[in-house]
Amino acid sequence: MANPSVNDSQLSWYSAREPLIIMALSAGAIAFFFAVLALSQFFESHQSARADEYFQQGTLDLRNHHPDLAVNRFHAALAYSRDSYSIQLSLAQALLALNRTEEALQYLTNLWQREPENGMVNFELARIYAQKGDAAQALRYYHDAIYAIWDQDQDSIRRSARLELINFLLARQLHGQAESELIALESNLPQDPELITEVGGLFMQVPDYERALTLFVRSLKLKHQNPDALAGAGHAAFELGQYKTSEHYLKSAMAANPSDSASAQLLETARLVMQIDPYNMRLSASQRSVNVKDAVQTAAARLSECIANKPAASSGMAGLQELNSHLSQLQPKLRRSAVDSDTVDEAMGLVFDIEQQTKELCGPPTDKDLALLLISREQEGN
Amino acid sequence: MDVIPESQQLDLRSDPIPPAPEPPSSFHRSFLRRVFREDRFFLILSVFIGVFSGLSVVCFRYAIDLCRMYFLGSEITAPALRLMLVPSLTGLVIAVLVLHVFPLARGSGVNQTKAALYIYNGYIPFRTAIGKFITAALAIGSGQSLGPEDPSLQIGAGLASALGRRLRLSRDRMRLIAPVGAAAGLAAAFNAPISAVLFVIEEVIGRWSAGILGSVVLSAVSSVVITRWFLGSESLFRIPQVELTHPWELLAYAVLGVAGGLASLVFAGGIAVLRPKLKAMPRWTQYFQPALAGLIIGGIAALGAPQIMGAGYSFMDEAIRGQFTWQFLGILAGLKILSTILSFTSGTPGGMFAPTLFIGAMLGAFIAGLEHLLVPHLAVSTATYALVGMGVLFAGFLRAPMTSVFMVLEVSGNYSIILPVIVANTVAYVISRAFWKTPIFDLLTRQDGLELPSMEEQREQSILRVEDAMRPFSGAVLDASLTIAQASQQTKGFTTDYALVHTTTAGWNLVKVAQLASWVAEGKSDLTLHSLLPLRSLPYLHPDHPLEVALRYVDRWPIVPVVNRANFSQIEGIVSKQDVLARYQELAETD
Repeated sequence: MANPSVNDSQLSWYSAREPLIIMALSAGAIAFFFAVLALSQFFESHQSARADEYFQQGTLDLRNHHPDLAVNRFHAALAYSRDSYSIQLSLAQALLALNRTEEALQYLTNLWQREPENGMVNFELARIYAQKGDAAQALRYYHDAIYAIWDQDQDSIRRSARLELINFLLARQLHGQAESELIALESNLPQDPELITEVGGLFMQVPDYERALTLFVRSLKLKHQNPDALAGAGHAAFELGQYKTSEHYLKSAMAANPSDSASAQLLETARLVMQIDPYNMRLSASQRSVNVKDAVQTAAARLSECIANKPAASSGMAGLQELNSHLSQLQPKLRRSAVDSDTVDEAMGLVFDIEQQTKELCGPPTDKDLALLLISREQEGN
Repeated sequence: MDVIPESQQLDLRSDPIPPAPEPPSSFHRSFLRRVFREDRFFLILSVFIGVFSGLSVVCFRYAIDLCRMYFLGSEITAPALRLMLVPSLTGLVIAVLVLHVFPLARGSGVNQTKAALYIYNGYIPFRTAIGKFITAALAIGSGQSLGPEDPSLQIGAGLASALGRRLRLSRDRMRLIAPVGAAAGLAAAFNAPISAVLFVIEEVIGRWSAGILGSVVLSAVSSVVITRWFLGSESLFRIPQVELTHPWELLAYAVLGVAGGLASLVFAGGIAVLRPKLKAMPRWTQYFQPALAGLIIGGIAALGAPQIMGAGYSFMDEAIRGQFTWQFLGILAGLKILSTILSFTSGTPGGMFAPTLFIGAMLGAFIAGLEHLLVPHLAVSTATYALVGMGVLFAGFLRAPMTSVFMVLEVSGNYSIILPVIVANTVAYVISRAFWKTPIFDLLTRQDGLELPSMEEQREQSILRVEDAMRPFSGAVLDASLTIAQASQQTKGFTTDYALVHTTTAGWNLVKVAQLASWVAEGKSDLTLHSLLPLRSLPYLHPDHPLEVALRYVDRWPIVPVVNRANFSQIEGIVSKQDVLARYQELAETD
């Protein structure tokens, strides 16, 4: 069209000038665009300043435990910066602090749709679903939070998220999944005795006493006089039937924290187990006989008490009567001063049966009965 | 009868209307070239219209926000006195501007665009666009219960019209340019190109064609690209995925449709009654009408419902997030209907799209709360109901059913909501139509003394078809291979003047019974009909053809056969000029 031909005179006005018009329109559009861009920058900076101001005030309110004020500030900030991710996240956190879970969930869900990899959003969503008791969703968001990208202190936050997840799983009695998470957590623990002790405590709940004992010992290597780790190690060793080790740690735990009544009771039981155990290899034959007779006497007393307290027609009474009958048959063999090994096994077998059945029918045992029950478990394990 | 070469005969399987080739001439070459260039140029121009409209709408949005910030302050809620004074004082300024400087800024942008298309050959004064920009920004920024979409639409249309005039477009293009600009303005305002295109096609232009659609789409898309550049590409509202656990849940959404339909009736009825009364009042009162509306709205806001001021998008978002009690949501829906009726009927420039969405959102969330209370086991999501409610009011009040569905999808970016939206919108639309015959835009046009084509009426208009006028053929149907003697024999016993002749090569033909007798007299009895009949075939029609198609032929042919679409040799009937005219006359008498 640079050299319009004669025929072009029949074309319309704009057709003849099309390139020129397009250039003029383009120039106009570009000029208008930059003018609006300048206006936009002015407007955005103004809006952004306002949003920042409200956001800072809201953050301060939230930090000072005034979530109600913070919610208002964050709402005001959002009016100036509607799509701000950080303001929406803070608002959701403030709403959570006010227990306005559903509103918070709306914001967090929107934020998650924008950035599914955001750790904090996943973490907060996981907490909400954990609170709602939705294990599948909670697990999903906790995992997303654990493997998410965190701006700072990544390892620490990931550990916190995993710890929260483990506590949630333990509370839901999902011990298998909790153990898997604990094993993953254990492999990456820093040299922090408190944290190691905490994880050891969680292994105790699973329960995985061997890993728990290992962690308590590891913690004690870093900090010798840690009462929780000592008590934990004592407890774990006790559960593993390592009464000597248990006694060692529990004694130290008591020394470090004399008011620890649970450890005191456990120590007493551990000592009793070691004291009355007829299978202790270090015992002389006469002492073994004494222990066996003592054990039979203890079991007989427990059996009599149980029979006396149970109605005659109650279920299991026949079994108890049968045990009583066996006990009567055994008594003559025990009158001898030295009890032979066959009698020891027969007598202790009966004692273990009595302790287990009375536990089921008449409630948990105490003192020597408890010690005998623990010995029976140990023997079953062997 | 003239004999036409076989090559130009009608192919039975092609369109019954043969194309009429015209000898190419230099004039036509030039004409075609001009049209082609104009088409192409119009498409390019549509992109520029979109860009300019998008930029203007961005400025308009900034202007509204700045007005709001400076008039009502930057706090979430302004003091009561300020809430009352700002809209009333600004109302006075707006009234002076509208009455003395920008008289056309008052009224609906949709209707002005339609008027430009159908009455003023695409003319919308540029001054109106400027006036709409200033007065609507002042009104919405000061808290009048109006929205920015209709003014945006008009700004786009005004810009496009000014550009078209400047570029001396042809009359046909000029007529279309305002809707193209309107689509751009609306798309930018809603950040929703599909809805804008649909709305303009559904409510303004009323017809689909490739040329119109191309321009409207290009302008809408380019304006949305510009708007997203400046205002972001986020959906207006975000809701979680909707999962219908049981089809019966759709019934709960139908309840929302019923409520929306009834609310639409109240809303439309309020405007229909109050607007003419306020317009009929003495001229001096028009200086105070926007101020009075502003004062009442400010008063309502000061009493505890500031959410009703302005377009209210942020509060729709809050309703979606379930931040209001269901009782308060119901109150807000009612108050917004009242305040929007007041703002709009007082002549304050501004649109009704945003208030419609606001009312719908509040009503939807209210119904969700109510249903949750009455049927606790029903899985009711406030967010979903609020969003469906927006579509419901859009369908019921603005009577744009297609747009309402796509608008909800676009503003939420969530396709999972489509079933509830379709169900609820249809219910609301049907209720609204059943009880309120005239759509709101047509009502406003008629109140303004104009008679523009109603798109809804056009959609509903019954079309006369060939089958409505045809009658059975009582004459002889002959095969072209018959001899004249056989044909003459077969026509005996028929009283009609004509016999239809079926030829395998040329379709249908017509022969006069008297002509057959004449050929017999001339000693042509042994010749076949095929050899004596002209090769030119008779045009034919199908029963579903619009009756106006028949008008093209009935003047040239005494009867036109109506044939079956699947079997062209099967006669369904015939039509004649008298049949067609009688049918039209019958229709006129019925109307």
